[in-house]
Amino acid sequence: MIDIEVFIKTFIVLALFGTAGVGLYGVVAKPHATKKIISLTILGDTVNALAILLGYRYPGGIPPVYTGQPPNEFVGRAVDPLPQALVLTAIVIGMAVNLLIIYIALQTYRLYGTLDTRLIKKLRG
Amino acid sequence: MSGVRKVASAVALLAIVAALSLGAAAGGMGPFFDGIRSLGAFYLSTAPPQIAELVLGPSYRGLSSYSPEVVTSIVWDYRGLDTYFETAVFFLAIIGAVAIYRGIEEPVLRRPASGLSPIVRAVTKFLIPINIAVAASIALHGHLTPGGGFQAGAALAVAPIIVIVVFSRRYLLERGVTKLKALFFRSAGLIGIALVVLIPVIWSVISGEWAWVMQNQWKPGAEAFSYPAYLGGALISGSIWFLNLFEFLAVSFGFTILFLLISIDEDTVRSCMIRGGEECDRY
Amino acid sequence: MITPELALMLIFVSIAFVFAYLAVEERKLIRAVVYSAVQSAAFAFLFYLLGAPDIVLVYVPVTVGIYPAALLFLIRKTEEVENP
Repeated sequence: MIDIEVFIKTFIVLALFGTAGVGLYGVVAKPHATKKIISLTILGDTVNALAILLGYRYPGGIPPVYTGQPPNEFVGRAVDPLPQALVLTAIVIGMAVNLLIIYIALQTYRLYGTLDTRLIKKLRG
Repeated sequence: MSGVRKVASAVALLAIVAALSLGAAAGGMGPFFDGIRSLGAFYLSTAPPQIAELVLGPSYRGLSSYSPEVVTSIVWDYRGLDTYFETAVFFLAIIGAVAIYRGIEEPVLRRPASGLSPIVRAVTKFLIPINIAVAASIALHGHLTPGGGFQAGAALAVAPIIVIVVFSRRYLLERGVTKLKALFFRSAGLIGIALVVLIPVIWSVISGEWAWVMQNQWKPGAEAFSYPAYLGGALISGSIWFLNLFEFLAVSFGFTILFLLISIDEDTVRSCMIRGGEECDRY
Repeated sequence: MITPELALMLIFVSIAFVFAYLAVEERKLIRAVVYSAVQSAAFAFLFYLLGAPDIVLVYVPVTVGIYPAALLFLIRKTEEVENP
């Protein structure tokens, strides 16, 4: 007999790993620079989601914001705030770095006339 | 892509997922869906002052960060130095992007304003103030409700994009949101963060007593200096409120600069690059 | 015992996986950006279910607003189709 709860939990984790794998595959195998950037954002988002999932409490996790409930209930039910704090800065800083990559891609197109990495590789002079 | 390469890619993808799963199954990522780590429990039981008073007793004041919003208090108090240097990375990324556009500036009033239909414009004019008000609320209440400087900065950074797409780049420039002003406000935010962090150090050097960097309440052994936890009876959580405000300025105007630059017409950029920038610098 | 949160998480993670695959495989880059935005929206709901309103507040403007806008600027100024 299959425990449906364990199945759903395993499925969620594996689907997130699969999404990370798809993102990594796009970064490595797709030739176009814009597609590589899109895949990079997917990869980063999925790793962030996995980090948040590590801090989740099942069943009945509540956000780590104190709203006046009894203290024992808050400490006993709230999810782990540390992954959220790390992911929060990681998202904003990752966005700044990704925008820098977009700018560099734009400059590459101005200089080489293409964003296909196979064609850029063949350029000489 | 040929058939062989497709199959090889799929196999590699499956191998990556299998390797990650193996690491997780062996316990390399800790337990999923299960309990809370003791460090997380410590943050939860000390950050809100009401809980810290019950857990730690009368000496709670030196260990609590006086904020019911535990995530923000970790970002700016418990792990404040981490966030401080993350802000430095953010600064460098923006500077790198601005350096690519060095010497390129679109001449103002060169072409008539373009944009979307009047209905969209009217709705946008109505929505932009709401966007700004919501972002300011997220920043200024960041120590009480979900939110903070990073969230508010990201929320406000959407406004210049909408204005550029719906109206035009020129509309934004005519309203006074220029690259120079955005750089000024972004620098003001960064300097504000540095000042809030360094004021305890300066105070310590002047008075000769101990003070802690990136800790918003006084600590045992350094009772003399701290940011106020309450101002006029309202909880402002010491330095967290100021850091949220300055981070809000830095993030929102940093992204405003990037979108002002990326929306410059490509012909202008090319002509500036070919002419060597001398004529473009004039604008 | 299965809570509604767990079932909803299953749905949103599946949506995110499917749209991430579509975004990576799509040849027209503008469509790929839109698929990526749908994947991000699914993740935003996932974050809400995981008890992280702070992350939702920062994640929605970043990945549904700013990334697609910047990528659409990039695509409009460069190439719109990825050659196989």
